[in-house]
Amino acid sequence: MQVYTPPLRDMRFVLHELHGSDELQNLDGLEEVTPDLIDAVLDEAAKLVTEVLAPLNQSADLEGCTYENGVVRTPKGFKEAYATFIEGGWNGIACDPKYGGQGLPASVNKLVEEMLCSGNLAFGICPGLTHGAYEALIHHASDELKDRFLPNMVAGTWSGSMCLTEPQCGTDLGLVRTKAVPQADGSYKITGNKIFISAGEQDLTENIIHLVLARLPDAPKGIKGISLFLVPKFLPKEDGTLGPRNGVLCTGIEHKMGIHGSSTCQMSFEEATGWLVGEPHKGMRAMFSMMNSERLSVGTQGLGLGEAAYQAAVVYAKERLQGRSLTGAKHPDKPADPIIVHPDVRRTLMTMRAYNEGCRALGGWVARTLDIMEHATDPEERRRAEDFTALMTPIVKALFTDMGFATASMGMQVYGGHGYIRDHGMEQYVRDARIAMIYEGTNGVQALDLVGRKLPAHMGRYLRSFFHPVLAFIDAKMDDDNLAPLVGPLGKAFGALQLATAHIAEKGLKDPEEAGAAATEYLRLFGLVALGYMWARMAEVAFEKRPTANGDAAFYDAKIATARFYMEKLLPEVAALWGSIKAGKAATMGLEEAMF
Amino acid sequence: MNTTTPSFEIKKVAVIGAGVMGAGIAAHVANAGIEVLLLDIVPEGAADRNMVAQKAIDKLLKADPAAFMSKRAAKLVTPGNIEDNLADLSTCDWIVEAVIERLDIKQALYAKIEAARRPGSAVSSNTSTIPLGDLTAGLPESFQRDFLITHFFNPPRYMRLLEIVAGPQTNPETVAAVARFADVKLGKTVVTCKDTPGFIANRLGTYWLQLAVGEAFALGLKVEEADAVMGRPFGFPKTGVFGLIDLVGLDLMPHVQGSLKRALPASDPFHATLRDEPLISKMIETGYTGRKGKGGFYRLNRENGQKLKEAIDLASGEYRAQVKAQVPELEDGGGKDLAALMSAPGPAGRYARAVMARTLAYAARLVPEAADDIVAVDDAMRLGYNWKLGPFELIDKIGAARLVEMLAADGVEVPALLKLASERPFYRVENGARQYLGTDGAYRDIVRPEGVLLLSDIKLKSQPLLKNGSASLWDIGDGVVCLEFTSKSNSLDEGIITLLSKALKLVKEKYKALVIYNEGSNFSVGANLGLALFACNIGAFGEVEKLVATGQKAYQDMKYAPFPVVAAPSGLALGGGCEILLHADAVQAHAESYIGLVECGVGVLPAWGGCTAMLERWQSDKTFPKGPMPAPSKVFETVSTATVAKSAAEAKELKFLRESDGITMNRDRLLADAKARALALVEGYVPPKPIELTLPGPSGKVAMEMAVEGFAKRGLATRHDQVVSSTLAEVLTGGDADHIEPVSTARLLELEREGFMKLIRTNATLDRIEHILETGKPLRN
Repeated sequence: MQVYTPPLRDMRFVLHELHGSDELQNLDGLEEVTPDLIDAVLDEAAKLVTEVLAPLNQSADLEGCTYENGVVRTPKGFKEAYATFIEGGWNGIACDPKYGGQGLPASVNKLVEEMLCSGNLAFGICPGLTHGAYEALIHHASDELKDRFLPNMVAGTWSGSMCLTEPQCGTDLGLVRTKAVPQADGSYKITGNKIFISAGEQDLTENIIHLVLARLPDAPKGIKGISLFLVPKFLPKEDGTLGPRNGVLCTGIEHKMGIHGSSTCQMSFEEATGWLVGEPHKGMRAMFSMMNSERLSVGTQGLGLGEAAYQAAVVYAKERLQGRSLTGAKHPDKPADPIIVHPDVRRTLMTMRAYNEGCRALGGWVARTLDIMEHATDPEERRRAEDFTALMTPIVKALFTDMGFATASMGMQVYGGHGYIRDHGMEQYVRDARIAMIYEGTNGVQALDLVGRKLPAHMGRYLRSFFHPVLAFIDAKMDDDNLAPLVGPLGKAFGALQLATAHIAEKGLKDPEEAGAAATEYLRLFGLVALGYMWARMAEVAFEKRPTANGDAAFYDAKIATARFYMEKLLPEVAALWGSIKAGKAATMGLEEAMF
Repeated sequence: MNTTTPSFEIKKVAVIGAGVMGAGIAAHVANAGIEVLLLDIVPEGAADRNMVAQKAIDKLLKADPAAFMSKRAAKLVTPGNIEDNLADLSTCDWIVEAVIERLDIKQALYAKIEAARRPGSAVSSNTSTIPLGDLTAGLPESFQRDFLITHFFNPPRYMRLLEIVAGPQTNPETVAAVARFADVKLGKTVVTCKDTPGFIANRLGTYWLQLAVGEAFALGLKVEEADAVMGRPFGFPKTGVFGLIDLVGLDLMPHVQGSLKRALPASDPFHATLRDEPLISKMIETGYTGRKGKGGFYRLNRENGQKLKEAIDLASGEYRAQVKAQVPELEDGGGKDLAALMSAPGPAGRYARAVMARTLAYAARLVPEAADDIVAVDDAMRLGYNWKLGPFELIDKIGAARLVEMLAADGVEVPALLKLASERPFYRVENGARQYLGTDGAYRDIVRPEGVLLLSDIKLKSQPLLKNGSASLWDIGDGVVCLEFTSKSNSLDEGIITLLSKALKLVKEKYKALVIYNEGSNFSVGANLGLALFACNIGAFGEVEKLVATGQKAYQDMKYAPFPVVAAPSGLALGGGCEILLHADAVQAHAESYIGLVECGVGVLPAWGGCTAMLERWQSDKTFPKGPMPAPSKVFETVSTATVAKSAAEAKELKFLRESDGITMNRDRLLADAKARALALVEGYVPPKPIELTLPGPSGKVAMEMAVEGFAKRGLATRHDQVVSSTLAEVLTGGDADHIEPVSTARLLELEREGFMKLIRTNATLDRIEHILETGKPLRN
């Protein structure tokens, strides 16, 4: 049963207690963001999600989007929900006040996003893309374009889309064929076909602002010849009101496994008018601002679904009566014990919980550095924050979505056959979660990004932003009475991460295939160590707060218990990963292509 | 080279003409430790009659790159004038004329020289354009017997080529004496040329430049594109042609061209390359003569207070922003196959073909017209124009037969030598010996002059005794082995340290002595910082510390090994590369060795025993003030500022080299000299005794910190400079030492290690390392 309640207690723990939200106020432009304000925002977001969005999740999945003559209809209730959503100012909570946004930090926004994903993932996709487009425009577009388009996009009356993929070009964007021809007035005529465009067409907003990758006539071959264009569905007039329809048409939508409430569109551009964003041929640079932000958001989707699945699984595990505890009946008054008494169900629930809370904590750390990147006045501090987010983006995207899917699947498992049928909504989580491992760069591509770009960059400088704090923590807490049992396994796993990193750097330098063959396992290993560090840090906070926690002691006890589970039961996976990485590419690449 | 035994030794030299070349030659003779008289005219009404020569010396002292190798050398040059000091010529063994390129002036001077000089002394001209026959015409036979042309290249200290031309009357012994002096004392590679216009290097070099400029105009290439093609792909300096002309001066080109045009017969292909480019004439007229003028094909536009890199558009003659050359033929590893590049259909391919097919053909014409053999031509272009490969080596890369096909297709006459080679290479290795193709079609061994030993020759005929990815060990005969670094830029890493340790064991068992030497352009740039940085970034500090400790141990083992170790650097010997010198029993250094402990520049300190060894050197110098403080202060001064000696001679002043260490002027003679030195040490060899040092401890450290504080206040030291200096001071003053208890080597090494590890854990140091690796420039943080 979909029973989602926003995990506000844990969110506050991550934000305030673990990452010290009071420090946010020291950042330029965030002086007003007090813990009290943050709590109020989270409470309101929780209300919106539970009252307006979550109730539509299953019905929207059943109904899906429909297409007719270029028009896409979203599921029943979405229009009204969207109106409520933008009326509450939720669309622009993390946007610049200059364009009508609330200017709230990413640290808060990521938690709101998580709630949206848990409550109704498909609904959140359209505003998510608007935000991605906003990121690309605010960092790369001219002031003229920003003034013309951003206010409506921030308000949510206009949405955004990302038009990258074409039939012949997915991961390899160098193959983009869509053309852009310069016009005398400084605009461009865009012609080409795009596919898999989420929210490329919908009936929620009065206009849609497409960001389109295309090639100029004099463009160099490949990825260095791609430019980014802003192409609106309706061309705004001078006074800002909507003008004529542009040459953009949705020619169909895809039938797909999940996220049925979100349209996945085929788009046709026929001499559509557009404007250049950023410099000619530097489209990928602008695109990456958007993609990096999107990748972190997709990671949050994994976490959101994992949380929803966990909550549903817990309810069922306590309700469903089957068999007796292996150590004798725990509820003799009932015909059978609830299945939560069984170690394997416990193992499943503990794993889900440890993944979710670990990811939430790590996501909070990355969100904090996003805020530092945006708001710190010291360039040095900003650079270090940039290093860290660059490093962690592929990890957050791939690890969170891998874990999100695994957790959704575990949730279904707890339900048994009742999870596989539609009624309980558990199979929807599995279906919805699966796409997150694919879009915004498959998880395999994320792993390649980590080993191929992030790891060797500046001779490992990005790595420093993670390795040094973890090393310092281990050195400092190794002999702490409470923490030693947790820090011991963390230290071992960290050692394996160091060895694997050095190994890949050395082998990969001589043979890139060695790095490629180890990439996915390395990302997993890295992610597990990162969660391990988060768990040790969370336990540290819990040990510190528990003695004076009064009524909240159980919360901290649970943290400590889950930390222990993570260190003893989940983190050891690292050893297996390192073993496999060490074995090198030979076994992977040994079989001749023709033998497949 | 002439191998006749010289009949006399040159002990004193006169240079007449104190222009750029004359003065530079004089300075370099002084660098060899030889007294030199520098004479020029007396300007009318001059108070100081030596004014011209004196001014030239003053200019030499400020030259960058430095003309003198040491202050000591500068004192060996005596200024004078050709009116008052003619008589002094009788005290000189070699008189070099380097006056203006006018036959009448030169001949008038020769008459005066002839009257004043000691009979049998050598007289030579540094002319680059006038044939020897013209210079000596009408002069007495005695003069003709002692006269030759010695053509130096600019700057004389750094350019290794010396072209020598002897006349039919010239006494072979005189030639031999000058050649031997130029080789051994001046470190030049002597190339014997025939008495033909422009000799070898400038004849071919001018042809090449002229063709490359003309074709760039004709094919409508951007200068950046032309330079990208006429640079790295062919192993030419990356300045290409336009950048090179900017460097030498646009105005110089017409002079050289003019003289070659007048002197070469009408049948010479040179004339076909001459094209009038109105743009170039206009640039020269308006003062755009290159770097020395208002700008050249490239310029730095400083208008509006910014520095804008610009290049000239060859078609319009207007400057525009410099662009990165777009040459698809050179992308993705293209340009390695020269034949393919020269056959590529695009503009870059057509350019490469138009210039290089003809240039290489012209080179082939020069043998035997201007040179006896191809080796002379290749030497001349490598050493006179800094080509990585000589023209015949380039032809071997392309294939002579392939080049012949290209020339035939282009309608260019195929020179006889190319036809002779046909399918055969110009160079080959036969039975471990390098051979070249003679003009008779037979291969001949390349014979090295006596006293020249090259590792590259040894490697052709033997296998390494030991080898790993970073170093090799070679048997160089007579019981001596040579440790060669083979890592990138000869940076020191675990592999080198491991091989050094293994070599020490092997020599102890089976050999007499060890020489550390290699033939890279730099002896060693120091520790492999890239690896260290990566290790630090992932927090693998334990590994880094282990490498520091192993390095220390290997260097100590080397210092106290029961056999002599001689290190023989050339080029840069920095950081760990300097420390290895400091632990050798003796150093035989190439004169152009640039030695220094530069660790502080990247935010660390010398920790492979460098601090300890330097303290030991200064404290054991008997001429230096006694007490615990002077030695640490001196070392602090040198090391905290990352001072690099700009020559081997200067390295002695800084004590990176000992007074007793040897200096070899000729790069090719370095290994033989080092080997001889090692062998000389073998008999009765006793390893050095460890010494204990008396150091000042904390009070000394405070004094050093105060000095740095002063620099910081004046804006001369950064925040991290202070951190680094203070850590260095801690090591050099012996940590918690007091000046009663002596400090052991072991303790000092421990302090080095601790200091190093403390610094390398800081972000500021890691930022410095990253910055130097990525930009090549130090970060002042």
